Amino acid sequence: MWFVNDLNLKKQARDLGVKFWQTPGFLFIILGLLTIIIMTATYYISRNYDSPEMLIAVESLVVIVILIVGNSVISLVEQIIKLNRMKSEFVSVASHQLRTPLSAIRWEAELLLSKFRKEKIGSKQRQSIENISTLSGKMTRLVNDLLDVARIDQGRLIIKKMPVNIVAIVEESLAEINAIIRIRHIEVVFKNEKKIPLVFGDPEKLRMVVENLLNNSIKYTANHGKIELKLLKKNDFVIFSIKDNGVGIPAEQHNRVFDKFFRSDNVVKYQTEGTGLGLYIAKNIIEQLKGKIWFDSVEGLGSIFSFSIPVNRKTKQKRCLDNF
Amino acid sequence: MRVFLFSSEENETRKTKKYMKKILVAEDEPILNKALSEFLTEAGFEIISAFDGGEAAELAKAEKPDLILLDIILPKKDGYEVLDELRSDEKTTKIPIILLTNLESAENIQKAFDKGATTYLVKSNYKLEDIAKKIKEILEREK
Repeated sequence: MWFVNDLNLKKQARDLGVKFWQTPGFLFIILGLLTIIIMTATYYISRNYDSPEMLIAVESLVVIVILIVGNSVISLVEQIIKLNRMKSEFVSVASHQLRTPLSAIRWEAELLLSKFRKEKIGSKQRQSIENISTLSGKMTRLVNDLLDVARIDQGRLIIKKMPVNIVAIVEESLAEINAIIRIRHIEVVFKNEKKIPLVFGDPEKLRMVVENLLNNSIKYTANHGKIELKLLKKNDFVIFSIKDNGVGIPAEQHNRVFDKFFRSDNVVKYQTEGTGLGLYIAKNIIEQLKGKIWFDSVEGLGSIFSFSIPVNRKTKQKRCLDNF
Repeated sequence: MRVFLFSSEENETRKTKKYMKKILVAEDEPILNKALSEFLTEAGFEIISAFDGGEAAELAKAEKPDLILLDIILPKKDGYEVLDELRSDEKTTKIPIILLTNLESAENIQKAFDKGATTYLVKSNYKLEDIAKKIKEILEREK
């Protein structure tokens, strides 16, 4: 049919994985036609109101067409929802399956290192084992990210709520990346007001967010660049911000920064590493903790990413599931 | 000579074993079980290994370990069944049990604490060293 090609219905059908008559575009056309039919029918009925046969015929026709179209819309929506759920479940299951061998690799490498601590082992061998250990750690984090995304999609991300020392989290995250900062000759400045109160949130997830923002800044800043971290209290919130003079984000892509799998064009060109999941997860975590996350960026000049997190109000500390 | 050396060594360990804390490792994946057992032996614990839930429950009752590392997905009986069984038995009800698993949904964690787990660790997030540290912490607390 002519309109199948003209309206890109084939492409739409291929993208969604459905038949062309199930695509939203086609159903929309049907709805349009239906409106015309109903209006024509109304016109006929008003002209021949003394003919009950005509009235019944037209009405049943309209009802049948509405039922058919309605049914296709419902089954299409159901199919899409089902596919989406299957996708999330697949990611969960696959990630779980990946975790066991990953733990095994990590633990075995650790075991090797601890065994050789007392005995002599060449520095090259030690380096190799350490690399295996670091890389499997990296892979574990990647799998964890995928699992987190699947959980967010299913609305099942677990977030603990307890008093957290955000200053310590920032300091510890900085200590973690000390080595890479030195190699890349990046200047890091951390300014914080004297009395930053405890915040109310999930220590591990908050650390994930801070590390993620920090790693992004380092990754997208050239050698000899500068990164500034700030913590300040504003009303009932503590605000964390991180400023870099890195590659920045093109203005036309600003509205997609927190989207799942988003990677900006200028970054994709030069860097290979990165999944585009970090900021999506960060946004979900911060919002679940009743905070906000935002940024400002100019391509070529750098970016500032900030988030706010509520100050801890509860004086009585509840015992939480703090050990897993 | 060799035999003598070996047996005296054996005697040594037997003597010190009296003061060593006994830990039951219930993990069906052989490589993970071996890695855990070896590392914890190095760290100064006495280790008993179980490779399925039934074996874990029996060994726990017979050996009365000071602490149990328990996986959830295990053949024969799963970790929750073992947990129920040990908590309802007078002899084993007070033994600290760490669930060590790769499942991490809210329901799983809640269920574990409801059934009386001492703590819940996600395998892939912990180094062997961290697990040893947790064990020591819990044993200190239980003293």
